[in-house]
Amino acid sequence: MRAIDHHAWTNRWAGWHPAEKGLPAGSLLLLTLFLPPLTTAPLVLASMALVTVYGAGVPWRAWFDVLVAPAGFLLAGAPFLAVSLDFTHGFDLHLSSEGLWLALITTVRALAAMSCLAFLILTTPVTDWMAPLRRVGVPAGVVELILLIYRLVFVFFERALTGYQAQTARLGYLRVDRSIRSLGLLAGNLFQRSLAQAHRLEIGLAARGYTGELRVLAPERVLSRMRLAVGLGLVGLVGTTGSLLAREWS
Amino acid sequence: MTAPLLAAHGLEYAYPGGIIALRGLDLSIERGQKLAILGPNGSGKTTLLLHLNGTCKPTHGEIRLDDQPVQYDHRALNQWRRRVGLVLQEPDDQLFAATVGQDVSFGPLNLGLSAAETRERVTEALAALRVAHLADRATHALSFGQKKRVAIAGVLAMRPEILVLDEPTAGLDPHGVTHLLGALQQLHEAGTTLVFSTHDVELAYAWADQVALFHDGRVLCQGGTAAVLGDRELLHRARLRPPLLLQVTEALGAGQDRSQPAPRSREAVLALLRERLGEPASGVPVEPTLGHPRSGPLA
Repeated sequence: MRAIDHHAWTNRWAGWHPAEKGLPAGSLLLLTLFLPPLTTAPLVLASMALVTVYGAGVPWRAWFDVLVAPAGFLLAGAPFLAVSLDFTHGFDLHLSSEGLWLALITTVRALAAMSCLAFLILTTPVTDWMAPLRRVGVPAGVVELILLIYRLVFVFFERALTGYQAQTARLGYLRVDRSIRSLGLLAGNLFQRSLAQAHRLEIGLAARGYTGELRVLAPERVLSRMRLAVGLGLVGLVGTTGSLLAREWS
Repeated sequence: MTAPLLAAHGLEYAYPGGIIALRGLDLSIERGQKLAILGPNGSGKTTLLLHLNGTCKPTHGEIRLDDQPVQYDHRALNQWRRRVGLVLQEPDDQLFAATVGQDVSFGPLNLGLSAAETRERVTEALAALRVAHLADRATHALSFGQKKRVAIAGVLAMRPEILVLDEPTAGLDPHGVTHLLGALQQLHEAGTTLVFSTHDVELAYAWADQVALFHDGRVLCQGGTAAVLGDRELLHRARLRPPLLLQVTEALGAGQDRSQPAPRSREAVLALLRERLGEPASGVPVEPTLGHPRSGPLA
């Protein structure tokens, strides 16, 4: 999570308008759903990977780390799509060509779709998502909450880590029974400290005129029509190539 | 004599549960001063500061702003907090927004300023604390010292008349302290009244023009820095030691003459020491820092 966040803030395209990244990536995601997947999905996956790494300058390693967890789930789940289980005549388990096809299509589609999301989260800081969220009708309170949680997660994470290190230094995790006890104590402590922190945060906010609404300036992002056009051009290119290749092969 | 800008009279406060934090405290803050509230840890300094902007309401006694008793209704509190800005000790308790610029924009927007005016205030406040380059950074990616300065900028952007800081130098390295004091000095010169709590006698001695000696829920004595910190008996009662610079000066036999103020900066005391040791006064150039370790025979 921290690695993703770091790249989102520091990549070459961090300062771009979110629409320049969101519209092309969203369109590519739709392409993987509606166009022939076997040709389109790999093209989407490849183009998103190249754009993320060579365009935005996110290291390959980070890109790989984001995709590896969902890919693992996919590979673990796909075999179950390939086989079918039938109880009408007792117990019947068999591998069908239909099932294999389904498993393959689902896997490439999901991977391609994941690559679009990976591109977005690796290149766009969280704060840039808030204006679009408000635009599509998410209530202001929810957006405030997202930002507040986002900020406090890091404070909480740091406290949890120091607490854990302090316990480890006093051999709190030496045996299983001690570990369970230590973890319980840590959780209880973090809960109390979070409540105290919430109280102090309220004092700090009140000192700055808080009246129940966390209003802050939205980041200033200028939409570049040129960049958006190039992005959508890429979508068109991937879409046509995917469809043409699919027609040729069928 | 004009009335103080902000004053506390006979302030008493007990926490829910009965622990008494303030026991009849008097304090007065004059316009344009640098006032240190000096006392050991856990003596109730933070509680006092929370009274100065109306966060806590005293059980007895009163606070007067411009010689008028303050009110605790919503409107009055808002007016009060426009004039008295409070910076908490722990920046993570204060910074809530995801980016530095957004966090600093919070106060000005609450004042009802437009987006353009707010942007101006944000830039100005960040520049005053010398952190303008951090405007677009994620808050959680900052160092402790940077967070501290951003937290101050967030209050400063509201242009308060009085800036109240709880232990502003706590947790900062010597370089960070120098940096922060430099920025605060500029604010002071621009007319902001500064009130800060500290347990650091050296800091109060070097930097405040008035000291309120705080002990056991009371102000034992409020007065000019040299006078208060020169009173050993008083300091002892507050469980504090006299500042080292003052002790060195006294050991050298200087500063006894009350007409001649004792030197309060590290470099001035070092110069005095060199003079007494018979070394040439123009030695190594001394950089104007506070608590900064230096090499050389006198370090």
